[in-house]
Amino acid sequence: MDLTGGLVARSGSGGMCRESTGLESLHLVDEFRQLVTLPSENAGGSFTALLELPATQAVELLHFTDSSSSQAAVNGIGGDIAPPPLHSFGTLTFPSNSALMERAARFSVIATEQQNGNVSGETTTSSVPSNSSANLDRIKTEPAETDSSQRLISDQIPCPSQNNRSGKRKDFEKKVKSSTKKAKSSEENEKLPYVHVRARRGQATDSHSLAERARREKINARMKLLQELVPGCDKIQGTALVLDEIINHVQSLQRQVEMLSMRLAAVNPRIDFNLDTILASENGSLMDGSFNGTAMQLAWPHQAIETEQSFHHRQLQPPPPHQWPFDGLNQPVWGREEDQGHGNEHNNLMAVSENVMVGSANLLHPNQVKTEL
Amino acid sequence: MVDSLFPSIETIGDASSESRRKKRKISETAETEAEIEARRINEESLKRWRTNRVQQIYASKLFEALRRVRQRSTNENVKVAGAAREIRETADRVLAASARGTTRWSRAILASSVRAKLKKHKKAAKLTGNCKSRKAATETKRIRLPAVDKKLKILGRLVPGCRKVTVPNLLDEATDYIAALEMQVRAMEALAELLTVAAPRTTLTGP
Repeated sequence: MDLTGGLVARSGSGGMCRESTGLESLHLVDEFRQLVTLPSENAGGSFTALLELPATQAVELLHFTDSSSSQAAVNGIGGDIAPPPLHSFGTLTFPSNSALMERAARFSVIATEQQNGNVSGETTTSSVPSNSSANLDRIKTEPAETDSSQRLISDQIPCPSQNNRSGKRKDFEKKVKSSTKKAKSSEENEKLPYVHVRARRGQATDSHSLAERARREKINARMKLLQELVPGCDKIQGTALVLDEIINHVQSLQRQVEMLSMRLAAVNPRIDFNLDTILASENGSLMDGSFNGTAMQLAWPHQAIETEQSFHHRQLQPPPPHQWPFDGLNQPVWGREEDQGHGNEHNNLMAVSENVMVGSANLLHPNQVKTEL
Repeated sequence: MVDSLFPSIETIGDASSESRRKKRKISETAETEAEIEARRINEESLKRWRTNRVQQIYASKLFEALRRVRQRSTNENVKVAGAAREIRETADRVLAASARGTTRWSRAILASSVRAKLKKHKKAAKLTGNCKSRKAATETKRIRLPAVDKKLKILGRLVPGCRKVTVPNLLDEATDYIAALEMQVRAMEALAELLTVAAPRTTLTGP
């Protein structure tokens, strides 16, 4: 296969370049060119997004014949953000590349299935060029992605670097990075801290921070929903204040329930007869009295339909002791409400609320009800 | 919609739902997996507390609470507060029952009421805040602010049965509890209105 052949050749050239940089750099440059063009042909969205004009950059950078330029080519291709600083890395990539390839070969068995999931994540993480070796790995894996059958060697390394979701991949990335850093430190010590920083920025590279990030995201998502639920929390910044609001809201709701229960307790003794009769008289003209059927027949809500008919019976049986004068008033209102309601429940509550409003001798307007409460 | 029946709280609910919809549109493109999951949970719980259940809870509470209070009132007419407590607890129980046992707080409410009946209030206080131990406490880093922690504890105390519950679960439970409480308040308001309006009528126009 083209690409595997290219990879193998590159590893061979990488190994050789320790001895002689000049020829090897050219050789590698050719390899890079091959790799760059091939993926650009096959490229899915992720690869082009990753490489951001890989062809032009690669060609540009490949004009340089020294090892630093090839290094830059590697970095420029893989790393979108800052190609110039990478020129100074010199010959670091090649030994690290071979080390990486060895590691990749070792880990190749495990991460093949992870490869597929990482394609989507790659674009998100492509903005951070971890280091030259990681970039090289990315280049390697771009062609690898497009042809899943052949992706054995290079599948491992970019996957961890590009997807924050899996701890396993992060471990691989960590190991890879540590190996590359070791290789790098042996060559150039002053560049190492810089690479460290660039490697870590914006990425969770170990399983702990990864899991913590996932947990944080979960909590933040739930907090956002709570914010939307509780009125007045949208404008507030900060978890503590939002939680304050939520706590206040819950406490106020509970207090409201207390107040209402006291009101109900106060109201109840005044009713000397059965509530059923009240509802019977009020809802006498309702076509479907399913609402009150459920109320009267069942302690816990279950089948509304069943109780509907029983309520009808009950409704008809006890003769209302008094005809309320506004039954006639209620008729047109109920008729209107019934037409509007979709299901039984809607009609019932609408009728009841209408009763509430109408029954108070037209004193309680809807506005009044709102303001009162 | 059913919500139109409860005008007072419905305005608040509309505002929050509108803002929710707006936010949904804005943030749809940037939703992470966690957000999608949380939103699904939230929508599900909210819808549950706003549609059919409303009617059933309302009806059941109506029946149960009044029956009990009528029973009590025949015995001990004087104590309004005691009757209020009974009503509130009955209302909570009906609310919890309508949750169908899917949430912790509902199970805690029902369990506490059962235990109170059996053990005569002695062991209820002990057993209400039990069960799930806190998991994943080892990896907490950022939401370990002491201020936030305190508030989370307070929230855990407010929501019944959620003292020793993990933070994401606590937030889920709080979401559902708030939705349920809002519905309960709306139902009780309508019921109270109905009764306070009906009562003078009956006395006036009764035979």
